[in-house]
Amino acid sequence: MDNKSSTPRITCAYLSQYVGKLVTVVGKVVQLRGEEATIDADGTIHAFLNREAHLSANNGVQLIGKVNPDLSIKVLSSVDLGQGVDYNLANAVVEVTHRYKPLFVYEN
Amino acid sequence: MAGYGGYGGGDGGGFMSGSQQGGSQAGGSKYADESLRPVTIKQLLDWEETFPGAELAIDGHPVTQVTIVGQVRSVKPQPTNITYRIDDGTGIIDVKKWVDSEAQGGEDGGSGAGAIAPDAFVRVWGRLKTLGGKKHVSANFIRQIEDFNEVNYHLLEATYVHLFFTKGAPGSGGATKQEGGGGDNMFVDQGYGAGGGDVAMGGAGPGGGNSAMQARLATCSRNAQIMCNFINNSPGGTEGVNLLVIAQGTRMSVRDITNAADELLGQGIIYTTQDDETWAILDY
Repeated sequence: MDNKSSTPRITCAYLSQYVGKLVTVVGKVVQLRGEEATIDADGTIHAFLNREAHLSANNGVQLIGKVNPDLSIKVLSSVDLGQGVDYNLANAVVEVTHRYKPLFVYEN
Repeated sequence: MAGYGGYGGGDGGGFMSGSQQGGSQAGGSKYADESLRPVTIKQLLDWEETFPGAELAIDGHPVTQVTIVGQVRSVKPQPTNITYRIDDGTGIIDVKKWVDSEAQGGEDGGSGAGAIAPDAFVRVWGRLKTLGGKKHVSANFIRQIEDFNEVNYHLLEATYVHLFFTKGAPGSGGATKQEGGGGDNMFVDQGYGAGGGDVAMGGAGPGGGNSAMQARLATCSRNAQIMCNFINNSPGGTEGVNLLVIAQGTRMSVRDITNAADELLGQGIIYTTQDDETWAILDY
């Protein structure tokens, strides 16, 4: 069923493992240039935003999108998380996601 | 309170009130067995109902109520309930919040059902139900999340509880103190007992390992010493202790632990066992 689909949380280091797949990235907005953004998620990620994205530099953001072959992300949904995001916590969740995949990821 | 209060609104309103006197013990749920498990949606979806009415069990333990945290993908108001599709990144599930039309205006502010919009993050308390082969969560309570860190916290908590049930409490079976009770407890008596709580004096003390190892440990950073002590005091044996367990017990961040591990590996104090994130003390 379409319910059994996951968008695993990743950081920069995992991009290459998910080319062509939908992923979730939580990071800090480093730079915004029109519909392109540079995000810091334990490494630098390039994101191509859609029209509905309303991000602010230095704020946290949760992006859901598809990983392009060049390891940039085509963003389908973005949520501004404001300040106060604990990035160590978010990165820990990414590590845990991959350490205990059966709890988090549908492999297909 | 949340556990018992849920009976009122949970299954179509009012039905459960009679059984609370314990008359219908056949209902099967004694209050002592009620539990509230933090889970990922994938854990719920993966549960196979072996026969209709089978009791939900995850990691071998029966589960009555669950709590999930996710993003709202859609909101569909219906005559008797509001159906939300919730996505937490591990799976998607329908959550039905029953609406008592008479109590519309008077609902305790907590549920705030009318104010939840798509893309908001919410926390749900409820029970897993199956209807015609399809699963959904019948929600007693649904609340918008104010601090995004709660989303990540929930995922870690769900993992912790999963590990608790599959591998046992951290540091259990030994003289070390109980789970989550603050990393400091672990180091007060065992191992480096000579001076009491001060871990930094890794040089002295009859703790695990020989004196050469102590000398090398003393040259390491404080984080490395804390991590080494923790592994020493854990019942990992030759299997080793995993990064997550260390994180729980010492409250160090994943990055700190990884750096400390590199230090200790370089010094030949620990070695990896099952995988790159499980270590044991190198004792020879």
